[in-house]
This record gives sequence, C-alpha cells and structure tokens, in this order.
Amino acid sequence: MSTVTVETTDQSHDDHDHHDHYEPFWKKYIFSTDHKTIGIQYGFTSLIFLAFGFFLMMVMRWSIAYPDRAVPLLADWPWFQAWLDDGGKVTGDLYNMFGAMHGTIMVFLGVVPLAFGAFGNYVTPLQIGAVDMAFPRLNMASYWFFLLGGVLMFVSFFLPSGAAKAGWTNYSPLATTTDIHYGDLFWTGQTQWLMGMVFLISSSLLGAVNFICTIINLRCRGMTWMRMPFFVWAMLVTGFLLLLAFPPLEVAAIMQLMDRMAGTSFYIPTGLNVSGMAFDAAGGGSPLLYQHLFWFLAHPEVYVLILPAIAIVSEIIPCNTRKPLWGYKTMVYAVMVLGFLAFIVWAHHMYITGMGPAISTFFQTTTVLISIPSVILITSLLISMWGGSIRFNVPMLFATAFIPMFGIGGLTGLPLAFSLPDLHLHDTYYVIGHFHYVVAPGTIFALFAGIYHWYPKITGRMMGTRLGHWHFWPSLIFMNGIFAPMFFQGMAGFHRRAFDGGKAYEQISNQVFAEPNSFIANICELLRVIEPDAAVRMIDLNIVTSGAAWLLAVAQVPFIINLFISGFIGKKANSDNPWNATTLDWATPTPPPHGNFITEPVAYRGPYEYSVPGADKDYTPQFEDGPTALVEDNGAEEVEEEESHA
Amino acid sequence: MEIPYEVKPRRDTGLYNAKLGVWLFLASEVMLFGGLFSAYVFLRAGVQDGVDNPWPWGLNVHKDYVWLGFINTLVLIGSSVGVVFAWVALKERNWRRFQIYMYSVVACAVVFMCIKGVEYNSKLNHHHGIKLLDNSVMEGTILDKTDRVRFEGTTVSFSIQGALPAFLKDLDDEAFPTFTVVDAKNEDGSAVTLTSMSELKKWFLQERRRVAGELTGERKRYRSEIASGAETPTPVSVTTSATLKAAEPFHLHANPRKVIGHSDTGVNYRDGSKVEGTLISDDVLFEIHEVDMQLVLPQKQRDSILWDVVNDEGAKQEFFAKQQKYYETFREYYAERNEIMPEKMLRGHKLNLHYVHVGGHGDDHEHGDDHEHSKKGEEKHEVEVHSSESKPSAAGSKVEGDGGHHGTITVPRDKIKFMGNHGPRYGNYYAIYFTMTALHGLHVVGGALVLLFFVVFGKKLYLKNPEHLANRVEVGGLFWHFVDLIWIFLFPIMYLL
Amino acid sequence: MAEHTQDWAKVKKSYLMVGIALFFCTGLTLALGLWAPFDVGPPGPTPGDYVIGLAVATFKASLVALIFMHLNHEKSLVYKTLVFTVLFFLSLMVLTLFTASDPILEQYDTYESTNGKLIEKL
Repeated sequence: MSTVTVETTDQSHDDHDHHDHYEPFWKKYIFSTDHKTIGIQYGFTSLIFLAFGFFLMMVMRWSIAYPDRAVPLLADWPWFQAWLDDGGKVTGDLYNMFGAMHGTIMVFLGVVPLAFGAFGNYVTPLQIGAVDMAFPRLNMASYWFFLLGGVLMFVSFFLPSGAAKAGWTNYSPLATTTDIHYGDLFWTGQTQWLMGMVFLISSSLLGAVNFICTIINLRCRGMTWMRMPFFVWAMLVTGFLLLLAFPPLEVAAIMQLMDRMAGTSFYIPTGLNVSGMAFDAAGGGSPLLYQHLFWFLAHPEVYVLILPAIAIVSEIIPCNTRKPLWGYKTMVYAVMVLGFLAFIVWAHHMYITGMGPAISTFFQTTTVLISIPSVILITSLLISMWGGSIRFNVPMLFATAFIPMFGIGGLTGLPLAFSLPDLHLHDTYYVIGHFHYVVAPGTIFALFAGIYHWYPKITGRMMGTRLGHWHFWPSLIFMNGIFAPMFFQGMAGFHRRAFDGGKAYEQISNQVFAEPNSFIANICELLRVIEPDAAVRMIDLNIVTSGAAWLLAVAQVPFIINLFISGFIGKKANSDNPWNATTLDWATPTPPPHGNFITEPVAYRGPYEYSVPGADKDYTPQFEDGPTALVEDNGAEEVEEEESHA
Repeated sequence: MEIPYEVKPRRDTGLYNAKLGVWLFLASEVMLFGGLFSAYVFLRAGVQDGVDNPWPWGLNVHKDYVWLGFINTLVLIGSSVGVVFAWVALKERNWRRFQIYMYSVVACAVVFMCIKGVEYNSKLNHHHGIKLLDNSVMEGTILDKTDRVRFEGTTVSFSIQGALPAFLKDLDDEAFPTFTVVDAKNEDGSAVTLTSMSELKKWFLQERRRVAGELTGERKRYRSEIASGAETPTPVSVTTSATLKAAEPFHLHANPRKVIGHSDTGVNYRDGSKVEGTLISDDVLFEIHEVDMQLVLPQKQRDSILWDVVNDEGAKQEFFAKQQKYYETFREYYAERNEIMPEKMLRGHKLNLHYVHVGGHGDDHEHGDDHEHSKKGEEKHEVEVHSSESKPSAAGSKVEGDGGHHGTITVPRDKIKFMGNHGPRYGNYYAIYFTMTALHGLHVVGGALVLLFFVVFGKKLYLKNPEHLANRVEVGGLFWHFVDLIWIFLFPIMYLL
Repeated sequence: MAEHTQDWAKVKKSYLMVGIALFFCTGLTLALGLWAPFDVGPPGPTPGDYVIGLAVATFKASLVALIFMHLNHEKSLVYKTLVFTVLFFLSLMVLTLFTASDPILEQYDTYESTNGKLIEKL
C-alpha cells in the first residue's frame, strides 16, 4: 500500500467525519444512502414485522387449541372484539385473516427483508471491499418501497373489511371474490394486499439489481470470483432469483388487481357461481394461471429464504471451527445449480390441481434433482465441522442447530415431491411442519446466529453470552415442540386451514397418538395436556403445539433484552476482528464509517484460510499482506489511479 | 467517498455500473412482460369452443384501431431512432443536435399516448355488447347509461357496521334528498335529518363508532355472565342497522355490478343495503350494430331469443342468408383443395365468426378470388347504407332497423346474461389488451420522463463530464428501445393476429 | 465500448438504415394482416399466419436489440444474463402451457381405454 493511497483515503475519511458532523439526523439515520444504515433499517423493520407475525400466530394457536374458549387478554380491545364472536371466541374470518397475514408478513416482510435486506445490505459490500452499494439512492428507494408495502399491509387490518383473508397464496377465484360485496373495493384488505405486494415486489427488484451490480462491478482489487466468501455467492444467486422470479408474481398481482377492480376475468372461469349466485364476469379465465404465476415466484422464494441462511451459517462455522470451509468450490457450483433448478420446479405445489401425469413426472424429476445441491450444501457444512476444535459461542450454537433443523425440514419435503404421497399430505399439518422446519428453526436460527455474529461489528460491543444461552436452549426445545407434532397430525389427516383445530373431524382427531400411561402420555399428563390415565389423542397435540408456541414467545424475551442493552453495557469488542475471522468485513473500523474502509481493501488470498500450516496464527485474513499474499488481477483498478484520473 | 466505475467501464466486465444495472433491470422486465405474454398464450390457447368467449381475431374488432396501432408503431420506432441519434450527437459533443433529437423523442411519446387515449376512449365509451341468456351476443352502443337500473327511492336501509353502504355512489349528488333517520332522535327530541352526502357520511361514521362501543359493552357483559356460570346468559342485542326515509322521492341509478337483484319495489345491493320505492325502468336502450352467434349451437340459432329481442324478420333473414353464403364459401375453399372441412367449422362456431365479423370488411381480410369478388359487392352495399350516418364501430353483419339507420331496441333486463363496454371486463382479449397496453403505456410515460430529465437538466453535467451524460442517455435509451421492442410484439398480437 | 474510435457518420448511416428497415417491416406486418395474398392456409388465422406475423415481429425486435441496443457487440456478462432470462421466460411459458395440455381428465380417457385393453388381455 503506497503512502499516497493512505493519504488520499485518509483525506476522504476526514472529509467524511467533517461531513458527518454537519449531516442532520434525518439524513444520517432516516433517509440515509449508506448501505449499513439501510441494512439496520431493514433489520429493525423486519424484526418488528416478525414479532407482529408471531403475535398473529399466537392468536391462531389459541383458536386451534381451545376453540370453545374466549381469547384471553385481548377480548376487550375494541378492534379485536369486532372480529370475535359474542362469547369472545375467534371466528373463522379472524382466523383466515390472521392466517393469510401471518404467512405474508413472515415471508415478505419478516424473513426476506431480514435475510436479504438487512444482512445482505450490511455485510455484502463489506465482504467484497466496496465503499457502498453500486446505487446508494436506489438502495434507499428500495427500503422505502418495502416500508410502504409493509405499512399498507399493516393498515389493511384496520379497514372495515379487515386484512386479506384468502391465505398467503391468495388463490383466485377465492381471493378475487372475497369481500367483493363492499361498495368501495379498493379499500378492502384483499385489494390492499395486492397493492402492498406491488410495492414489496418493486422494492425487491430494485434491491436485486443493486446487489448483483455491486457484487459484479464493485469487488475490490484481488477479490476474484473464487475468492469471494460463500456469503457473497449466495447473495448473488439470491439476487438473481429475486430479479427473475418476482416479475411474474407482479404480473399475477396486477392481473388479480384488474380482476377485483376492473372486473376482468383473468382467473374467473366461465360459469363461476359465488354464494349460489352467478358471478358477474365475462368468464373464460383460468384459476390455474394464477397458481402458475404465483408459484413461479414462490418456489424460488423458498430459496430466497434459505440461501441467505446457509450463507450466514457458512461464515460462522469456519470461523468457529478454525477450519476452512470444506468444499468451497463445490458449494459455489451447488448454489448456482440450485438457483437454476429453482426456476423449474414450481408446479410441485400444484399436483392436485388436475395436471396430468406427464407434466407431474417432469416436475417430480426436477424436484428430486434440486435436493442434490441442497444436500451438497448441508453436507459440506457438516463436514466443515469434522475434527475442528469448535468454539461453541452463541452464534455457533445457533449455526450448529441450523443444520439438523434444516435437515429435518428438507428431508420431510421429499414425500411431498412425489405426486402420489402428496395427494395424501397436501394441505395437511405435515406440509406446515415441513416448511416451518425449513424456515423457522432453519432460517430464523441462522438469522439469530448472524445477529450474534455481526453485532460486535455493528455496535462495537458483544452480545451477552448468558442471555444468549437463555435464548438459544428454550428456543431450540420449543421450536421442536411446535413443529414435530405437526408431522404426526398431518399424517393422520389434520387439515391446515381448520380454525377449530380439526375438532369437527372426530375420526381423525380422536386417533390415539400415545397409549395411556406411556412415556409421552405421562409427560402430557404432567403438563396437564390430558386427563390422568387418558390416551393422548391426535387433537391433544394441538395443545402441546400451542403451549410450545407461547413459551417460544417467552424465550425471545432474553434476546430482545440482549439486543437492546448490549449496545450500551455489553462487553467491548477487543478489536475490529473479535472472532479472529478472515473475511474483509472484519478489516473495517468498528463500527464501519461511511465509505467503510480506511485504506484501500485488497484481497490477498482466499476467504477461509484458517489454521494454515506454517502460519504464525490460526487465521490468515484475506486483507493481510504477507509472504503468501498474491493479488490476482480481477479488472479492478487501484484507487490512486482512479483519483489521478478524477 | 466515490463509487467506482460510474462513468468508466470496469476492465473485466467491460461495463459501467449503470449499464450493468439497466441490463439486469431489463432482464426483470423481460420476465414481467414475459409473464403477461405467457398469460396471453395460456388464456388464448385455453379458450374452449362454444363455452368461453371466443378470442376476437383478425380485424373484426379492430377495423378502426388497426390504423391507430400502425401509426403508433411508426411513432415509437421513430422515437427509437431519435434516441440513438441523440446519443450519437452527445458522442460527437453536439449539444444543440442532442436537444433537438431528445425533444422530438419526447414529442413522439406524447403523440403515442394521445393516440392511445383516442383508442381507449373509443373502446370504453362508444362500444358496448350485450350477451343474452342463450349466449347470443349483440354489439352496439348502450344509450343514455341505461345499463343502470333507474329507480325512484323513498326509503333506504343498511348496516352501520363496516364500510359505507354501496348505494351512496348511485345517488345523484346534486339532487340529494333530505333523509330522516327512522327511530332516532336528537338530544332535543327533534328528528335526525341529513341533507347532504357529507352530512350522511359523517353521521354514518359517528353511528358506527357508537354501535361498535355498544357492542363491545354488550359482549363484555355477555362474557362475564358466562364466566359467572349463568345457565342461559341474556344474548347480545344491539341494533346494527339503520333506516332512512327521504322527504321526497329521489332518483337512483343503480350500478348493476353492485346489485344482486331488484324488483318493482326495491333494489338489493351486494353489501346488504336496500333501497325501497318504485322502479322507473330497467330496460336497456341499445343501438344495435351487429349480431354474433358463435356461442349458440347452429341448430338453435334460428330460435335464439335474440330474434325476439330484435324483432325484425328482415334482419333475421339477412343474417341467415349471409351465413349460408359464407358457409358455401368455406365449403368451396376446402373442396377446391380436396380437404375435409375441419370439424370445428362444421360445428358452426368458427364459421359464424367468419360470417359475423369479417362479412363487411371486404378489403380487410380476403381469401381467394371468388371470395374477394363476392365481398367487394357487399362492401359497396354497406357503404351505401352507412353513408349518411356516424360510422359504426366494427362493420359486419348489420342488423338494420327501418330506413337504413341502426335499429334502437329495448332489451329487457331479465334476458341479459352479461353486458358492458369494450373495457377490460368484456372478455379475456380486452382484459389482456388493456392490461398490457396500459402497463406498456406506463413504461412509455416513465421512460419519456427520464429522457426529458436528461435533456432539461443535463446541461450542467454535459459541461462537467459529457461522457457521463452520454452514458446516461445510452442507459435511458436502452430502456426506451426495450419499450419499443415490447410494442413491436404487441402490435401484431393485439391488433392483427 | 470502443465507439470513440468509430466513424460516427458510418454509425449514423447504419442507424438510419435500420430505422427504414423497421418502418418497412411494420408496413409488411400490416399488409400481412390486411391483404389476402399474404394469408396462409385456410381463411382466418392459422398457425401459418401466426408464424409469419411473429417471425416479422421477431425480426424487427432483433434489429432493435442488435443495432439500437448494441447487442451485436456487447459484453459476455450481458449475454449470459439474457440467455438465462430467456431460458426462464420460455420455461414459464412452455411448462405452463404443458400443464394445460396435459390435464388429468384427458389422461383419464386414455387410462380408461388402456385399462380396457388390459382387461381384454387378461
């Protein structure tokens, strides 16, 4: 590094400080174009939405566990009671509304913004040694679009019609005809859902363009493709998934909006009857078309949910096992294949729509194929831990738990990939259990791991370990308490959309899950789920699940406390690189200033050089010059050259 | 802090940021319009003969529009050429020429949108269709907004929970009647009267809050009674509906889409509100231009209820005479080539399509010499007939009233299955036509605004770093060419095929 | 970009030629729709008409893409992105159509008949 460079960049840094001083609050923290601030904005917003989505789920779980009892605590709240029946019980309408919005909020407003928006925004430019995203103002716009979409979704709860009620998938013609009797169709929850989605999709598209551009064009000197941390690779693939899969959903949303507002019949078949009356539309549309366009997004969306999680975990595991990531190149190719296949598996969500066996076979094949790269990714992570001297700090605990949890989620998906077992399992709790294992104890655990991992970089202080343990262990237990029983219920035939938890279907709900006085029955007896000496019926599992869900909420309290107080009283991070990690994000000052790096970052070696034989310490950072350093040409120009040109 | 590669391309990718960005954006745009094109193909391929509305092909609906579409295509291509020339002008550092080209591009965009506006206006406001119960269709114009049920109301009743009642939108704002709320008194004991729309809305919101409050209290009491172990708790009872009486009868033009039914004494809205009074008329006045029988089985066409509605024996004869002639033409066509007429044509649906829509076009869509000959004659006939009047939308088999004018007929509402203008509701062709062209129009407007921004505010950047402005124009131009490219496909699939 | 070494007059000429070609092709498209001699196969829109109409449109579109959008000498990265985009677009369109052309009910007929044959054999 020449002195000139240091001087010039230092100059800019000083400039920046000087600038900072006069930057008004609203510009620095609210309408900021700094990728880190935007990342934090995404993070906070999505955490709030995650909590809100969780709250919706807790109300739903009450209705499932105790369909004949009034909702506790909330029944006197005027808005809420308007949706309850006279006795204070949850109505089907409320359940449908919360169900639809739980899914929408968790997927589009919670997990994706946290994983892609928050972590992607904060970490990606740091890891490739960029000063900011390629289009900082576009980045800001995408956050504000996201927020606008989120606010529309949230406000729709308080409209006379309530929020959307037709499931998070919003299938037509149900979604087209819901609340169709309202005089002002535009201000119904169902329409606002579509408006909100249009904003969220636009936000994601802008974000995706920005991410891909940044990763391709803003890599620092020496950061060749195969020196990019796996995190960046996963973000690149995620960006492409969002970029190319979201537009068809935007089309689907626009067409559904037309169906609702302009009376078109894109999704309305000829001769549709609604509530016993002929529906006033020209007809000739196809409900199947909506499902195609929806799932063309929504399946890649699954990988949008899971890839950032794998990305985060694959940063944390090598760091805490002090070993290189096993099979880095294989993982990179696997993630690309995964991204490609993600586009041609969507119709496995639609086996029971009346598609023929020929096309089903095609989608079964691709679906089974896509499990190969997924398994490669997970196996590589698992092997990475083999023989390492593992530091089980809190992020590592979450990262370690991610692997089996995601494994369960993935493996239970295999029966759903085949059309025959899918006939039995479709729309049962089995499906709920399957994808929640992927997303809840899977992705969300990885996101927790990421928060614990990068917190010292963001704030300069470590999150509390004791509170972290109080957070991790109960979460692990209750997550499984929620989702494991669902597999048994699902295989018994419990339908996912029954708001009374399947009480009406006696033959199903009274099946015996555990004999009286068996081990499980004894535990359930102890927990007061069943009467003494009774058998545990399938329907009793509802109470187990709901109880675990509420306790899971309690288990998040230590996390929330930890998140807020650690920024003030947490242990100070001992250096800019407290975990002794190797990637470029740890080369910045803590917290990183606007413009990120003090000196021009250069990648001298691969991303995971831990415990290199002959090195003086057990990690050799990418940014550390030394005898083994080699700056490969990747087209990036040195900073001083740029300066002289300007 | 300066972001690298904003102007200069990066060596390994050869691209500067904005160019890479716009190509990625265009990729997502390909998927966006790709989704719509897929929908177009899916919907068009999925039309079931004799069940769904047929896809209007050829020039049948577009006689007037095809030229508009054609001119629009030329305008857009012209603007595309303008953009590349503007870019070259910048590369040659000729600001003046850049300005001229750029403003002419924006002017093209304005012209394009105006033509589009003309087309939309014609479709939305002048062309209507009515499908009768047996799926026979009449095309023409609904006169005097008679698609609405004309009603004289005296009393209205509705729920005071949820949204504002739907009938409010069908009231005449200017002749707003004075409503008195039944069973309600002001604090001073006088009757509650509402004299304007805003007053009514205000009152509604007030009442809604009151009812919600009452309901909360009642339910609380009910729950506490259950909790205290009452065997038969007093059920919750709150009046949640209101009735208003008008001082003088008022006019209501009920929107059929919001109504589930009406009788001589009342109109029932979808949202549960009701208007009582007397029916003035629910007949639809219709200026009939053409008849379309594609969805009626051939053997039932002669007995279609449409002929009762039209009530013109001459028109009926003319219709079937023409139909016979065209049937012969097709038979000849296939006989000449020693081919068997496809079963579909024998069934009649497609045959009728040819007959009804193509019949009057003559110069538009001709197949074979003798065919052409017969059409020429007809066209002449048509021209003679219509020379003295406003040109009808789409020519075709005209069902004339007396004296060469379009017949104005009265269609009883109970014979109507579906009616509307040629708006997006009218069928899947119209739906996808409006959706795609409107979305494309949005892109035109957006692109034109961006280009306008470059030329209006670009001078400063031009003086500072002309290459940067040239890059911006190149990127904006890429988007503009893409918009042009979409239209190149939209023109044939929406207007010609 | 290597344009700064280019002869701009030549470039402008090529743009003009392309513009004229596009105008001409638009006229051709219109003629295809309007005049009988261009009609292929039996009267009315036939697969032949679709193919010709779309072929002309595709030709025009590729002129715009290649010359105006400079895709004739673009960087490999852009090509790669576009190739995948087109691939996914085609999969969306074609697979969606396949699901419509392969519904379970039509299969049911074949199933019935094969089943019948099986029973005969037995």
